[in-house]
Amino acid sequence: MMDDAALTELALRARAGDEWAATQFVRHTQQQVWRMLVALSDRGAAEDLAQETYARAFRSLPGFRAESSVRAWLLSIARRVAADHVRGIRTRPRIDPDVSPEDAPNAVAGGDHSEAVALHAVLDTLDPDRRLAFLLTQLLGLSYQEAAQVCDCPVGTIRSRVARARDDLIGHLADREHRDPRPNRDSG
Amino acid sequence: MITSDFSNMGCSSCREHLSADLDGEADPAELPAARAHLAECSGCTRWFADAALVNRLIRTAPAEPAPGLTEAALAAALAELPRPQSPRRRIWHWTARAALAGVGAVQAVLGALALLLSGGGDPHMAMMGADMAHMSHESAAWNLALGVAFVAGALWTRHLAGTIPVLGSFVVVLALVSALDLVSGNVDPARVGSHGLIVVGLGLIVLIMTTRPTEFPRPSRVLPSQPALPATGDWTADLAVPLATAPTRPDPAARHRAA
Repeated sequence: MMDDAALTELALRARAGDEWAATQFVRHTQQQVWRMLVALSDRGAAEDLAQETYARAFRSLPGFRAESSVRAWLLSIARRVAADHVRGIRTRPRIDPDVSPEDAPNAVAGGDHSEAVALHAVLDTLDPDRRLAFLLTQLLGLSYQEAAQVCDCPVGTIRSRVARARDDLIGHLADREHRDPRPNRDSG
Repeated sequence: MITSDFSNMGCSSCREHLSADLDGEADPAELPAARAHLAECSGCTRWFADAALVNRLIRTAPAEPAPGLTEAALAAALAELPRPQSPRRRIWHWTARAALAGVGAVQAVLGALALLLSGGGDPHMAMMGADMAHMSHESAAWNLALGVAFVAGALWTRHLAGTIPVLGSFVVVLALVSALDLVSGNVDPARVGSHGLIVVGLGLIVLIMTTRPTEFPRPSRVLPSQPALPATGDWTADLAVPLATAPTRPDPAARHRAA
């Protein structure tokens, strides 16, 4: 992954109309944007939404402030694009209440890899806010501050959502290993 | 059920701090209490170990490669880039500014001359409380002021937008009354011709405004990538500015929203 300073430099050059820099900017960020869009909408729409995200990002480049994180800036645009899409088609919530973590593709028991794949499937069943906070901070490598910027919420909310997402995932882990049904939680 | 008499921190709160600690985002002020709780609470100890396991597992799964934008999608997105300023546009811009400065100088000199040389006309022909001498002084002063405004606008273009309503209405009204005065023979055509300078000035101002380079907010500094946070020490002090808008400690409302 390209570091933030280099990405910021590409964005600034794109702002001055440099198409090469803009193309490089896309190449180095599209993996993350795509991952986020898949998590927020659906695989079928993600490609169109990725194009819309970059189109909207380039349009708003004149207002881009290099002071803030360029990835948080781009991903917050992606979040809005996905939100507009979901609002537009007025689909039912993506999280199907009938799908439970047990329905996650269950690879042969044992082995970190299959467990990891199963855990990723569980991630898709989490509460959308928790899933997004977890995705941003754990899989896309954003700081809590940047994730808060993307989600447009306080840092404390991100911290709390990440902890709860972990709690949900641990719960799944515990279920699979036939340990205690749920980790202990008191009222705090 | 595990309760903690030894620490004021409950399991839920402790786990939130441990979770943040895994990400290097824990509030150092709260960490000692969370660790004290952890040392005494087997439930949280197991939770912490499981959280580390989840972390490890979730990162071992290979990321599904993104298909990437197609050439067509990339081209469509690139079409939205801010337009670079063409060299021709820049030449027009600077030519217009030089011309406006010239027009302004001539206008100011004409105004000054009119001010110095006026005094003609019948001193007894009064009009709205002022005799003709004063009326011509007033008009000369106005013409001089317009010349100054043109020169200043050529130097500091951001003032130009404000001159357009004044100049625009002046040119429209002047054109109407000049036409009437010409028809009724109340004015010398040469005098009307001298107003042409103002029309030229207005045209130049519009040209300057439309060819102006796009102004970008200048970054005061480019932040380096997120610095690694030290495990201990009061690093929050360095982050005082962002933290001012986003409190580090989860407030109760934030927790509700997360639920």
